[in-house]
Amino acid sequence: MTAVSIKPALRAGFLLMGAGLFGFAIPGSLLAQDYVDVEAERRAAEQAMATEAAPVVDPATSYTGIRPYSGSTTVAQPPAETAAPITGTDSGSLILRVQQLEADVRRLAGLLEEATQALRSLEAQSLERYVDLDRRLAQGGSTGSAQQGASTGSDMTGTAGVAPPGGDATDARSVDAQEGEEPAYRAAYEKVRERDFDNAVLAFTEFLSDYPFGRYAPNAHYWLGELYLVVEPPDPELARQNFKLLLDQYPADPKVPDALYKLGRVQFIKGNRQRSREYLDEVIREYPSHAAAQLARQFLLENF
Amino acid sequence: MLFGQRWILALLLLCVAPAWAELQIEINQGVENPTPIAVVPFAWQGVGSAPEDVAQIVDSDLARSGQFSPVSRRDMLSYPTRESELFFRDWRAISAEYVLIGRVSVGSQARIDFQLFDTTRQEAVESGAVTGPVTELRMLAHRVADSVYETLTGIPGAFATRLLYVSVTRNPEGKDFYRLTLADADGRRPIVLLEGRDPILSPSWSPDGSEVAYVSFETSRPAIYRQNLRTGAREQLTNFKGLNNSPAWSPDGNTMALVLSKDGNPDIYLLSLTSRALTRLTRHFAIDTEPTWMPDGKSLLFTSDRGGRPQIYRYDLRTQKIERVTFQGPYNARARVAQDGRNVALVHQRDGRYHIAVFDLVTDRLTVLTETSLDESPSIAPNGSIVLYATKRGENSILGAVAVDGGVRFSLPAREGSVQEPAWSPYFTP
Repeated sequence: MTAVSIKPALRAGFLLMGAGLFGFAIPGSLLAQDYVDVEAERRAAEQAMATEAAPVVDPATSYTGIRPYSGSTTVAQPPAETAAPITGTDSGSLILRVQQLEADVRRLAGLLEEATQALRSLEAQSLERYVDLDRRLAQGGSTGSAQQGASTGSDMTGTAGVAPPGGDATDARSVDAQEGEEPAYRAAYEKVRERDFDNAVLAFTEFLSDYPFGRYAPNAHYWLGELYLVVEPPDPELARQNFKLLLDQYPADPKVPDALYKLGRVQFIKGNRQRSREYLDEVIREYPSHAAAQLARQFLLENF
Repeated sequence: MLFGQRWILALLLLCVAPAWAELQIEINQGVENPTPIAVVPFAWQGVGSAPEDVAQIVDSDLARSGQFSPVSRRDMLSYPTRESELFFRDWRAISAEYVLIGRVSVGSQARIDFQLFDTTRQEAVESGAVTGPVTELRMLAHRVADSVYETLTGIPGAFATRLLYVSVTRNPEGKDFYRLTLADADGRRPIVLLEGRDPILSPSWSPDGSEVAYVSFETSRPAIYRQNLRTGAREQLTNFKGLNNSPAWSPDGNTMALVLSKDGNPDIYLLSLTSRALTRLTRHFAIDTEPTWMPDGKSLLFTSDRGGRPQIYRYDLRTQKIERVTFQGPYNARARVAQDGRNVALVHQRDGRYHIAVFDLVTDRLTVLTETSLDESPSIAPNGSIVLYATKRGENSILGAVAVDGGVRFSLPAREGSVQEPAWSPYFTP
């Protein structure tokens, strides 16, 4: 491929020298592009060896196990004894099969490496996206309607609620954030991201005592509700109170459908199946196209 | 400048290359708005005429960096050599932002005193002196350029360094002749370390710059040799059956990574240069080759096609774990790591063409630096700012150089024949 002047000479030399040497006297890094050449020449050498090996081991004689493989190379040789019982298979074709398998393994290893890498970067991306979504939600309800349909609602990973279709956003969030409020909220939220849940509870509690009616208060209540379910030991009652507070004080907040769903779960944990069912039904009835409703249906299906 | 004295010895032991083997330098692209600087001819304080035009050497170094546009001597209104003779208005008049003046004196040692002035602020920004053997006057001049470059850019210069490369000429019968050549970083003063009809490959430097290793086919099959540049002493390190390839000195100089195929197919091995013990690092039916050390010496990068296509992998010496490093495109090979341990120069295939690219180990970002199509053998300057590589021009291969940020390009063709497999020296430790 790279017609560097020294190569023809080299290659001729190698092919001569390659006999009996497994054909490997090719400078692998002679040039970067030679890499492929090395591979090609290895193939050629192996092919040559394999075809050369075939006449040496006559299937008829090798079958009896009398005549051992006598190839002149140092490659790991399949002993004729083990090769013999395989009907219609001589050492040469076994070598070819091994080469085929090696090529397949390399290809598969490559695919696996790439899939693993793709997964890693997807994970990183989805975290970024989630953080971004939460940030946009935290910035206010005015953009809420633009975010429809991007919600998820599993326990800790996808709690970002979105305004229901047509839901307006005229609630306590329309007030401007006070100075220092947003950094305090971000700091508390960072704790969640770091999965430092105990300190996240402390941070959000402190945040709510500093900015009880702040722009981010509904978010803080929602997070506290979530957090009380995942700290050790969980406190479903405090979780319930925070979700309920969000519901009662900010009925138009984009997180309301999620809070309803969560209340359903909390009541289920507390053993109040009747109350649980009422909340779940309410999400499905009031916000039928919201992701939380989907989760509620699923939960009903699995538990009722 | 201890190394300088040893270099004299080396010079005596080795023959000087013919003039046509010398590299020429063509600057293809510089930065936008390079800084205008006036390098005034230095005063010569010795007997006879000066053996070297020191100011001209500094001037060429700065011009070659692409970041400076030296003022022509013809435009200079005066040739001051001392601060008392310097009038800033003369230099502002010809739009020189900086002026470098100096004096060269020669006794038992050579000494260059120099001062750099800022013409707008009208003050000295640097003054210094370098001393060394008289025969190393060119190297001293390069050190002045290094110093000026660092003062003005914040990056250490790499002018007082050397290049190792293989030059190939073809005689009328069509036979190739190989010369392992050592030259100053500006291509001057070439010295032939080894020559013959047998191919020479993979030259590489010891970390202190006192030795080189390479693959030679002089015994009709490849073997790795090391050669001391001070004494000329030469030693064959390996002579295994099959491949003996890609020697790479560890940062502490005690170990050499290399590629052997003695156990079947190419794998990476470590050879202890103290105990001569050989350790096998990789064991895979794929091709593992082109090892290169991370500057901390704790891991190596290498090329492997264990994933079906050649890509760069990292071998961690402590955990013995191998992880894939590059995922961009179908082909990444022949990695060389900059001293910062972050930038990796490599050969990257895109649309069937082979380019030199820089891969950032921190951000995983790969940046293609060259537009030519058959680029190979990247080597990074010790200050991490320039990648030297081999590429094609017509029938011959030439050396190309490109700044890691892509801003500056120059090429170094041989006057005759081909030049390939460049290896930029480390900084020389005294």
